[in-house]
Amino acid sequence: MLLCVEATPVEVATWEDALDALDAVSPLIDDVRPGLAFLEMRGMPGRPPQWIEHARKILGAACLRVRFGVGVNRIAARGAAFTKDGTIFPAGRERALLAPLPLSVLEIDEDVIERLRLLGIERLGDLARLPHGPFVRRFGARAARWHALARGQDTRPFVPRAHVAVIEAALLGEGRAEDEAQVFFALRMLLARIASDLERSGRRAGALELAIELEDAQTHRFDIVLAAPTAQERAMFDVVRAKLEGVTFPAAIVGLRVRAAGLEEGGETLALLAGDDFDPQAVAVTIARLESVLGTPVQRARTKEAHALEDRFSYERFELPKRTVLRDGAQTQAEAVVPQLRLLTVAEISVRLRAGEPAVVGDPPRAVLECAGPWRIDTGWPDHDVVRDEYDVLLEDGELYRIYRQGTHWYVRGAYD
Amino acid sequence: MASEQTNFSEDPGRREAFSALKSSLAGRPAGPQSRIVDSTPTSIEALDRALGGGLPGSGLIALEGRSGRWSILAKTLANVTRRALAAIIDDGSLYPPGLARAGVRLDRVMIVQAATPKGIARAADILIRSRACRLVLMGAPELRAAAWMRLAAVAHRAGVLLVAISERAGAALAAAASMRLRCELERVVLHGSRGPWCTVEGYDVRASIGKDKRAASGAWARVRAIDTAMGTELRERLLAGDRPIHRERVSRAAVR
Repeated sequence: MLLCVEATPVEVATWEDALDALDAVSPLIDDVRPGLAFLEMRGMPGRPPQWIEHARKILGAACLRVRFGVGVNRIAARGAAFTKDGTIFPAGRERALLAPLPLSVLEIDEDVIERLRLLGIERLGDLARLPHGPFVRRFGARAARWHALARGQDTRPFVPRAHVAVIEAALLGEGRAEDEAQVFFALRMLLARIASDLERSGRRAGALELAIELEDAQTHRFDIVLAAPTAQERAMFDVVRAKLEGVTFPAAIVGLRVRAAGLEEGGETLALLAGDDFDPQAVAVTIARLESVLGTPVQRARTKEAHALEDRFSYERFELPKRTVLRDGAQTQAEAVVPQLRLLTVAEISVRLRAGEPAVVGDPPRAVLECAGPWRIDTGWPDHDVVRDEYDVLLEDGELYRIYRQGTHWYVRGAYD
Repeated sequence: MASEQTNFSEDPGRREAFSALKSSLAGRPAGPQSRIVDSTPTSIEALDRALGGGLPGSGLIALEGRSGRWSILAKTLANVTRRALAAIIDDGSLYPPGLARAGVRLDRVMIVQAATPKGIARAADILIRSRACRLVLMGAPELRAAAWMRLAAVAHRAGVLLVAISERAGAALAAAASMRLRCELERVVLHGSRGPWCTVEGYDVRASIGKDKRAASGAWARVRAIDTAMGTELRERLLAGDRPIHRERVSRAAVR
């Protein structure tokens, strides 16, 4: 049997609190959407009126306008709640009891309800009486489900909601810390608690949220990404310490709060057969330390298709690459030595032409020994419309440059290195 | 010790047992030997031969010159990133598509943006000490001799190869580096006649070892960097039967 709980209107946060409270009625709750949930009551003590009374008592404090209904499946329980608050649809009588209810109970589109109404179908009983085949042929495959629901047959699976676990530890009102060692000692203690909670719940944290409260009422927040989801205190502490290196606070620290984020189930993966030669923990600590000291994120490059040289790549935050499995022949791949271009700061240069080609470049002027190009680069609409002609020039001093002409001006773009 | 030897020699049973154990061990294959990474191969055969196996496995080296340095480094990076991570302290001149064409796994290259000499040195120090990366590439900012010496010592202890790239190494860097490798453009390989039908396919680089603590300096290797996909195929399709001209131009600087 399912107990339907329908509330209107309701905010998400309030609804989440209400569902947490309803855990006392049943541990299995299917949270369909904010304002509608079903509780699996099979095996729970008491009878349906007692379940409803229990739930009503629990939600009484939440000041919600709630309707309850009990039925053998979701449509029956929903229909019961719709009929009248506290209604119970006995098993086997769903079709008859649903028959007088309007089509809106099925939660189908308004335009479909309007089309059905034009055909004289206004209640679930009208819909249930229609011949299945012709109805489905006219309204499509989804109509088969409406038809079954109107008859009180609901095969939709019950999906229990996952409980939101909050694993956090805080140290507040224990005095003030001005010394780095005191802060790290306190952090270590908090992380030990977090690690213990994680271990007990069989989870691992992929990130940590650290809030540091200062004496002047400011709060500094740090989002700390761990190398790999872990429940080890040491691994977490190393990254947190690296993240805080070089950070100075304007006032003494009076509070610390650490919350485990990015929670994952299960134990840590072992890399027995990994062919990689790097330690994820060392990489995470390095990234945290570099970002703390330099103030800029550690990045990695990604290439993409584009016309202009500078658009052919982008940078994104560095993430640990996936581990690869050690294979024979992993070192047999042979690429050629490829010329490399180095991007220079775009600067205007003086160019003298001969027969339409660059002949003398730069200041002091250097003769062009060889010239390849031009190649027209036209980024076109809808990007910023850039039209330019690019050349590779070998200069008399032995350097090879990529230059371009845009309009009447010449610029240097890069050098081969 | 002497008494043990005496006891052992006096006990024929133990002596026989020991002889039997010794003979059985002699027949067994040797166990796996621990591998010490003492070089970082560039995967360029000629250069590796000249370098006696490759660049040093750890420490500081100076890569000098104006052209060809990154062509060699890209190949080395490709080799390193097959298994390990590498880092580049970038001053904004990096062109990642070129590295990708050389086979570098870009997802295994940490790019750290640093512009000031102090920032570059600190980034290098953190990267080396962490041992997270096998290879760290950086520019050669103006640092005191003590700073270069320190970076070299830390890199050597951590088993990380730090490559300082410069046009010409300063005295401090030159003294601290265990190897100085100088790259010069020797010859440019052009494909096609002229104008838009001509492309620079690559170049030959002469890499000379100016200083090597492991071996005598003076060895050199010629490295050809070629990328035939730099427009050749497209142009050949466009020419449709027009015989493309392949020519090489000796750089005047190299001749000099």
